[in-house]
Amino acid sequence: MSRLEAKKPSICSREPLTGGRAGASLAALRGLVASCYGPAGRLKQLHNGRGGPVATTSRSAALLAGLPVSHPVLKVLTAAVRSHVACFSDAGLFTAILCCNLVENVQRLGLTPTTVIRLNKHLLSLCTRYLKSEVCACRIPVDFGSTQILLSLVRSILTSKPACMLIAKEIDHISTLILRAFLLTIPENAQEHVILGKSIIVPLKGQRVIDSAVLPGILIEVSEVQLKKILPIKKSDSFKVAVFCVSLSGDLSDTGEGTLLVSYGVSLENAALDQLFNLGKQLVSDHVDLVLCQKVIHPSLKQFLRTHQIIAVDRIGVSLMEPLSKVTGTRPIGSLGSISPSSYGTVKDLCIAKFGCKHFFHLIPNKTTVCSLLLCNRNDTAWDELKLTCQTALHALQLTVKEPYVLLGGGCTETHLVAYIRHKTRNEPESILRDERCSQTELQLVTEAFCSALESLAGSLEHDGGEVLTDGKYGHFWSVQANLPSAVNWPDLPSRCGCGLYSSQEELSWSFLRSARHPFPPQTCLSPEAKGSADTLTLDCFTAKLSGLQVAVETASLILDLSCVIEDTN
Amino acid sequence: MAAAGSVTVALHVAEVLETIVSGCLGPEGRQVLCTKPTGEVLLSRDGGRLLKALHLEHPVARVMVACVSSHLRKTGDGAKTFIIFLCHLLRGLREITDKEKDYFLFENIQTCGRHWKNCCQWKFISQALLTFQTQILDYIMDLYLSRHFLSIFSSCSKERTLCRSSLEMLLGAYFCGRVGRNNHNLISQLMCDYVFKCTACESRFEEVLEIVDDCFGELKVGVTGLPVSDSRIIAGLVLQRDFSVYCPADGDIRIAIVTETIQPLFSVSGSEFILNSEAQFQTSQLWITERTKAIVKHLQSQNVKLLLSTVKQPDLVIYCAGLNGISVVECLSHEELSLIQRVIGLAPFALPEASSQYELSHTALVKFCKPLILRSKRYVHLGLVSTCSFTPHCVILCGPVQGLIEQHEDALHGAFKMLRQVFKDLDLNYVTQTSDQNCTSGPRIYENSRENNELPKIVNSSIQRSYQDTVVKNKGELAKTQTNLKVCSNLIVPNVKLEKTVLCSAPKVAVTDSYQTEETLRCSSPNKGTIMDDHEPYIESNSANSTTENTRREISYENLQVTKLARKDSMLPLRYKSLEMCSSQSYYFSSIPAGCVLPVGGNFEILLHYYLLNYAKKCQQSEQTMVSRIIANALLGVPKILYKSKKGNYSFPQVYVRALQALQTNQPMISNQTGLESVAGKYQLLTSVLQCLTNILTVDLVIHIERQPQEIYDQDSEEEL
Repeated sequence: MSRLEAKKPSICSREPLTGGRAGASLAALRGLVASCYGPAGRLKQLHNGRGGPVATTSRSAALLAGLPVSHPVLKVLTAAVRSHVACFSDAGLFTAILCCNLVENVQRLGLTPTTVIRLNKHLLSLCTRYLKSEVCACRIPVDFGSTQILLSLVRSILTSKPACMLIAKEIDHISTLILRAFLLTIPENAQEHVILGKSIIVPLKGQRVIDSAVLPGILIEVSEVQLKKILPIKKSDSFKVAVFCVSLSGDLSDTGEGTLLVSYGVSLENAALDQLFNLGKQLVSDHVDLVLCQKVIHPSLKQFLRTHQIIAVDRIGVSLMEPLSKVTGTRPIGSLGSISPSSYGTVKDLCIAKFGCKHFFHLIPNKTTVCSLLLCNRNDTAWDELKLTCQTALHALQLTVKEPYVLLGGGCTETHLVAYIRHKTRNEPESILRDERCSQTELQLVTEAFCSALESLAGSLEHDGGEVLTDGKYGHFWSVQANLPSAVNWPDLPSRCGCGLYSSQEELSWSFLRSARHPFPPQTCLSPEAKGSADTLTLDCFTAKLSGLQVAVETASLILDLSCVIEDTN
Repeated sequence: MAAAGSVTVALHVAEVLETIVSGCLGPEGRQVLCTKPTGEVLLSRDGGRLLKALHLEHPVARVMVACVSSHLRKTGDGAKTFIIFLCHLLRGLREITDKEKDYFLFENIQTCGRHWKNCCQWKFISQALLTFQTQILDYIMDLYLSRHFLSIFSSCSKERTLCRSSLEMLLGAYFCGRVGRNNHNLISQLMCDYVFKCTACESRFEEVLEIVDDCFGELKVGVTGLPVSDSRIIAGLVLQRDFSVYCPADGDIRIAIVTETIQPLFSVSGSEFILNSEAQFQTSQLWITERTKAIVKHLQSQNVKLLLSTVKQPDLVIYCAGLNGISVVECLSHEELSLIQRVIGLAPFALPEASSQYELSHTALVKFCKPLILRSKRYVHLGLVSTCSFTPHCVILCGPVQGLIEQHEDALHGAFKMLRQVFKDLDLNYVTQTSDQNCTSGPRIYENSRENNELPKIVNSSIQRSYQDTVVKNKGELAKTQTNLKVCSNLIVPNVKLEKTVLCSAPKVAVTDSYQTEETLRCSSPNKGTIMDDHEPYIESNSANSTTENTRREISYENLQVTKLARKDSMLPLRYKSLEMCSSQSYYFSSIPAGCVLPVGGNFEILLHYYLLNYAKKCQQSEQTMVSRIIANALLGVPKILYKSKKGNYSFPQVYVRALQALQTNQPMISNQTGLESVAGKYQLLTSVLQCLTNILTVDLVIHIERQPQEIYDQDSEEEL
């Protein structure tokens, strides 16, 4: 019987955003992502009701990947955030919250989507142009002469991921390691095109975080049994290495589509083994010191090599092959016949290292851009989170090298942008009104919706019921504790703004973040002394955040533009 | 289960579809989100895609969707307009029936009987529609509308050159209806740049469009997670895979293509390899290794730096290639291979049979070959040196979600299809006739002529038997020369007629014969904008009658009136009811020349509306008047939706009144829209809708079958046979 069934008709619903269902789901998603945002964000535990691992996380990638989203509109949102994170590793929650806020705020206005989308696009270009301009006061150029800014960037990323469960001392240690690992991947004599190397993260669970380390070269994990078979390493200046990508197990390779008829008494295994021994002899005569194989080496060949003082390590795996050929300068050998002498490589030193309970075979190169980051954390969940955070940080550093700027973090960029947009649209609305053919009221309404989306995004950083303030000079973000004693005059309390650039000594007119007040021109052009003043700034990756802003506004426009949803129920 | 098929039902269905598609029509249209059962989301404004995504069950709806998709296959555009237009036509038809209802009520017949009666009426109307589509539409297009056409080509000289600004306007209007309003400017600019960058030789852009349309899947790369504004065009071809081995090379880079593994295998399929000893095994393995090395060495000696392979190559080949400084790309798809072959005209490298003989193999030059990293994914980037008019370029489409990228891909692909259509000539042919008497309407004519139909035949045969023979012979000939059957078939009949009017004589048989063949040849050659009068050659060969014929021709130009002839039926002599009267008929073969455009914003619809109403006023037959009126009014449905959100001076009534005034006073129509659309596309859309409507109207009963007609029965019967 055929199992072919007629397709069920799809469900078609018009104006998907107007129903209560969409609003409720959107609000639920916003609540979820906003509660994870920032260093004080709450953690979420993801688990499958039928068993399997439990993940404790506040990362947008993990959250949204595991979240079963029912409403089709939210599927667009989560897909956009996930592909942004896949691209930039950072600013996922930022994008998600901003997008939700924008959709919700605009939905309340009741203007036609055309007007809103056009104006939103205009406001976005206002933001991006300002952020890319020289006068921007929330952007700091990176000085590669010192590690200060880069270290602050890494530390901010680590701090914003509370699920890593690190204390301040550990954060300092890990951020230095990450920065060191990153610096090791930069080639020394850089030409026009810089090709960055690779930092391999090696897991070492169950150890103290402080035990984490960065080592140049490659660590290959070996079991204790294997270790006993490896000979004591003789002292030498350099070691000759051969790396094989074919299997050295003596199995018969692809024989073609036809049949292979073997006469009685003929042993192909012996023939293949003879071939392997010939190979071994060639390796011996070429004075190779180390044989590494991606796949399996036949025990007899291993034995043969050991008797000739050659170290053999097999089952390297495909993921290590590329850095391995980079470190040793070899070309992976794909032939069992004669080997060209040019395919051998060298390493400076070999040693066996023990970290925690694991043994590693450590290849120390002469001069390459590959390093190993040995990462420790107490438990599996926290280690997974830490590993992903390290990758995020390394990626952010790479992006920063490409575009040498960082943005102020801690909500200051958002509040500053809000002040800038409010001021711009209030004082110079003529050009916008002319370009976009809309009324003054429409512009004001959309601007207000856009700004309050950014403001409540910044406000999501505060989770403990505290008050959020903004100043009337720089437009930065200040937060004060909740439940203040009534006697204290609260505007005196905050000591530093969210990013840590300014302290409260100056005369700043504070006001509540979401309160109505007169727009003011925020101070542009960061003063040079301000750049140098603070050592520990909270910083964000420029490229990732800028792209996140663009993706959020574009996705919000996309969602607002929907006239109808067709759900395939098959 | 059976359900009566009726206009009311069809209208209900069409109205539902209309509400969905009208939301995405035009520059103000919005997006539709489709979710797939796999959980993916797709954004779309493409009418065809939306209709497919609905998985409609209603039989009438399925007929409509089938009609739309067959129209899309032809032209690649106009699905939304199709539905809206169809809906308005059905609405118009229902109004007519509502008016005539009283007439039906008078007759006290049972419902069932009334239904059949209804069906008869619908059949009647559908015939009239068909006649309209085949006769009047072409006539009006050619005679009235053509004077408003603009051309997309920059000059009126013979050489067709693309005008950038008009192409921009054409594409701008197309993408307004296809992609989100945030991005249409960007995408249309991208497409325009792409067309000009890919076209090496300006006059051969059609070839470029053909290649791009055929191989678009290989010429685009989608990157998710980046803002749409990062989309761009890069020179060269991007293969969506990484190098198996990459050896940086510069200077003279040659490439070779292989379609099989370079390393010889022990045995090929269907053969047997007998191993008698271990030594034999080792020697054969050694031979394999040596031979592989030799082939790779040979490639190196040919200066080949890049090997493209359609299959996975063994490790040995990769190793040898790496040693010899040859980069390898494996597992190319057939589409990629065929594109590369089309661009550089390179045949795959044939592996030499014996190890000693190496003939000079096929290689080609490339400008560069390097890895390309997009969003931390690696691609192969090739700078192919093109041997045809297409200079390879790739579009990199970025977007926050995959669904949006897919929408842009579809829109771009559709745009190439649309452009190909724009640059094609579209034939129009129709019949005009100078007869003072009023022609009766199509179906009636049919009835009448059927009664009369024996007569001409009898007359024919009675006049001259030998003549009949030639006609038959000619028909046979025509069947053989199938190039332009439809056109030629028209030619047979007038002969019959002319023979009679001039009272034919014996020597004419030979003359007509030669004339027939001559005509056939002429018709098969493509004609553009020429009016062919079939009388002409006849006159030339028959000097005696030339004067009379000439006067008739003159009349035919002055006093134009169309006969209602279904083209497919014109073979039958019985169509010519008034043989004596309709003596001077003119057959016009005209065309909408390639690159004809009109400004967007319902210009085509309003123009056609105006001329159809004019025609309806002149036309005296009630049926044709009615059909023309219905179609004319339905045409306004699209501009009405387009101008829905506009206010004040730009609202639809204002625009409409202004356009009509301009037309009446013979002034040029002023359009406030920038953008152009293809006339041929609109024309084809109109004919497709009319055909679809005819389809729907002719069905009287829908029978629901529980299970599919089973094939097993067929098989059984075959076995028995």
